Amino acid sequence: MQTQEALSVRTGGGANPVRSEERAGKYLTFRLGREEFAIQVLKVREIMGMQDITEVPHTPAYVKGVINLRGKVIPVVDLRLKFGLPEAPYDHRTCIIVVQIQGPGTPILTGIVVDAVSEVLNIAASEIDDTPDFGDGVETPYLLGMAKTKGKVKILLDIDSVLTAQELQGLPSLVQ
Amino acid sequence: MAHRGPKQAAAELLNRLAVDLVMGEEAGGEPWRASVEETLKALSQVMAEAESFEGARLAADLAQEACSASQNCIPRLSAAIEELRALTEGISEPAPPPQAPAALAQDPELLSDFIVESREHLGSIEVQLLTLEQEPANAEAIHTVFRGFHTIKGLAGFLELDEIRQVAHEVETLLDLARNGQLKITPEVIDVVLAAADYLNRWLDRLQAAVAGGPAPEVASPEALLARVRAMLEAPAGSAAPAPAPAPPDAASAQARPAKEAAEESDAKRGSAERTVKVNTAKLDYLVDMVGELVIAQSLVRHAPELAAQTDSRLARNLSQMARITEEVQKTAMSMRMVTLGRLFQKMARLARDLGRKSGKQLEFETFGEDTELDRNIVEELADPLMHMVRNAVDHGIEPPEERAAAGKPPAARVTLKALHQSGQILIEIGDDGRGLDRQKILHKAVEKGLVEEGAALSDAEVFNLIFQPGFSTAAEVTDVSGRGVGMDVVRKHIQKLRGRIEIRSEAGRGTVFSIKLPLTLAIIDGLVVGVGQHRYIVPIYGVREMLRPSEEQITRLENRGETVMVRDRLLPLVRLHQVFQVEPKSAEPCESLLIVAEAEEKSFCLMVDELIGKQEVVIKSLGDMFGAIPGIAGGAILGDGRVGLILDLSGLYFRTGERR
Repeated sequence: MQTQEALSVRTGGGANPVRSEERAGKYLTFRLGREEFAIQVLKVREIMGMQDITEVPHTPAYVKGVINLRGKVIPVVDLRLKFGLPEAPYDHRTCIIVVQIQGPGTPILTGIVVDAVSEVLNIAASEIDDTPDFGDGVETPYLLGMAKTKGKVKILLDIDSVLTAQELQGLPSLVQ
Repeated sequence: MAHRGPKQAAAELLNRLAVDLVMGEEAGGEPWRASVEETLKALSQVMAEAESFEGARLAADLAQEACSASQNCIPRLSAAIEELRALTEGISEPAPPPQAPAALAQDPELLSDFIVESREHLGSIEVQLLTLEQEPANAEAIHTVFRGFHTIKGLAGFLELDEIRQVAHEVETLLDLARNGQLKITPEVIDVVLAAADYLNRWLDRLQAAVAGGPAPEVASPEALLARVRAMLEAPAGSAAPAPAPAPPDAASAQARPAKEAAEESDAKRGSAERTVKVNTAKLDYLVDMVGELVIAQSLVRHAPELAAQTDSRLARNLSQMARITEEVQKTAMSMRMVTLGRLFQKMARLARDLGRKSGKQLEFETFGEDTELDRNIVEELADPLMHMVRNAVDHGIEPPEERAAAGKPPAARVTLKALHQSGQILIEIGDDGRGLDRQKILHKAVEKGLVEEGAALSDAEVFNLIFQPGFSTAAEVTDVSGRGVGMDVVRKHIQKLRGRIEIRSEAGRGTVFSIKLPLTLAIIDGLVVGVGQHRYIVPIYGVREMLRPSEEQITRLENRGETVMVRDRLLPLVRLHQVFQVEPKSAEPCESLLIVAEAEEKSFCLMVDELIGKQEVVIKSLGDMFGAIPGIAGGAILGDGRVGLILDLSGLYFRTGERR
């Protein structure tokens, strides 16, 4: 515990040190590789099983393509590839979480592919720590912090910056 | 919060002071002194702001005296209060700031409603004025114009939009005279009223910009306009004097023949106005999305294999009934985005009138088919090119009266604007009975510019199409209306952007007709669904000329220059879609594939795909902000099985390959 305190003084996420009270609330947790991630429930519009994705040429590999969400065409991003994790075959547990993020001016609906959706958790402020500094000088502004609940660590994602940033650095060293 | 002038503020403070003085004679004491001092200081400030410095100084001095408890200041104050009153009388009320902050601080929703409603009134005012010009005694038209200004005045007064209220008020007074037969409607009167309508429109633009939060364009003060109106009000005051001689009806006045029809039409519109509902376009889009999904769900149910085995005739009947209803619902939903061309045509009638008056040419402007409905976006995009063409017709097409007389034509030229449905498209024609395009002059100019070779044998259509070349103009002189040689190329670009085509028919001495063919809507296209490997793409049918399966002899491979296909004696470049999009095809062999001869921006090429899957009418959807512009892709569409298909952008594909080489 002591070391955790010491670590949290220097925020790895530095760019936006969000106070833990503001980060408290309901989170949807999901699995990517061996790690548990969480995004704010407020951002989630719906969760759907895997479906046919239409590939769009000349886009980065992590953009899997577009799907039909009740008459709307929305992009789908594979979060594994976005984070630079090895690609995994989709199975019956693979899900698309449709999130609403703030685009330039208007909100944008985007699907994110995750290995499996776990549960909705209420995370208290006291359970949240700032992202530790990994000492490699890599900034991770897309991380809101880390939460320890039920003896496990969950990585809180700022899904808006995850999806709007071009390159994400630093995560592979965190999850591997 | 009403806007309070300094004069009123000062008067209020003085009243408070007077009350204090009366109270003070009994009360006195410290709190009283503090109150008097505060009032005087406030007064001093108000007067200083109003640039009444004498009063400001006096009030400040008095405040000082009041706070020194040593003496009784009441007699001094009583004496000074009269002096202050006299000084406040002298304060001149500053003109309210031009921003009209009171109005802009209003509920933006109220303001938006006001803008929409006023625009509707101004639109019908314009139509009626053109009628009036034709039939100055048309009482119904005068009433309509009067009522329009009256309503705007009332609303503007309510919203404290002073400039608008003033202008509307003066014009209303003028029209009232006309209504009572005390003022004759002359072209000059109509000019002034039109100018007033334009002024109000400019104000509405400004308000609209302000509501949207953008920078609001400046609007000049209405004084000059008001002076013009007032001058006209003065004129008939000496009612004994003969009314200003009406301008000879044929002198340089453009005539709008369909005005009467337009008036009837707008009457009918007024009747139906109460039965319409304004709907947010986002809701409409959502409805269209949902109906699209309904159509897909319906077709999935109908073609479900479980149902195919069914032989029950009632079920089959019900299913086809459902299909019919769904189709009807879809049609209705799509038609909700349509608007009539009426307003756009009105604008053109007004433009033609102004141009005619300016250039001293007589013309009759006729419109037909203004009830024709078209997608809202298209109508908006059409305004610019139409304006250009009406200008061209009046400025170049029509001869001056002398020349017409010499050619044995009636002095008043005819310019017609019509719209009609033709085989699932809209045809819009702008025609004039002027001098027609001069084949020789165009050819000469084209040779001069190096666009064609001397002595080339060109058909009329080919010659006329030369005027769509950038920078091409045969007008000998440049007027402020047209003739700068930027024009027809821009017109054609606009039309092409709307997926339309423009053609010219012209006969020397008889006139010119420009015909524009447009799709009914930008939201739906007819597409060919093609397959490349696992992938499905939609090729817009308007860009497809033919399809073929080539033989080996037709294909030529050029060293480092890609491949070409010989189609009907033309060598066309071959674009392999699988290569451009880097996907796995079923076959990389052109002879085992399907070639689509496509046309984009006057260039033809062959697009290689695996197979044709079908033909489908699709609703175009944007892929969203995340993607930006992807070369070769125009958007997405939901296919019959509910999956997304990508719509190809043919010119993007062609120019992409050009760049690669």
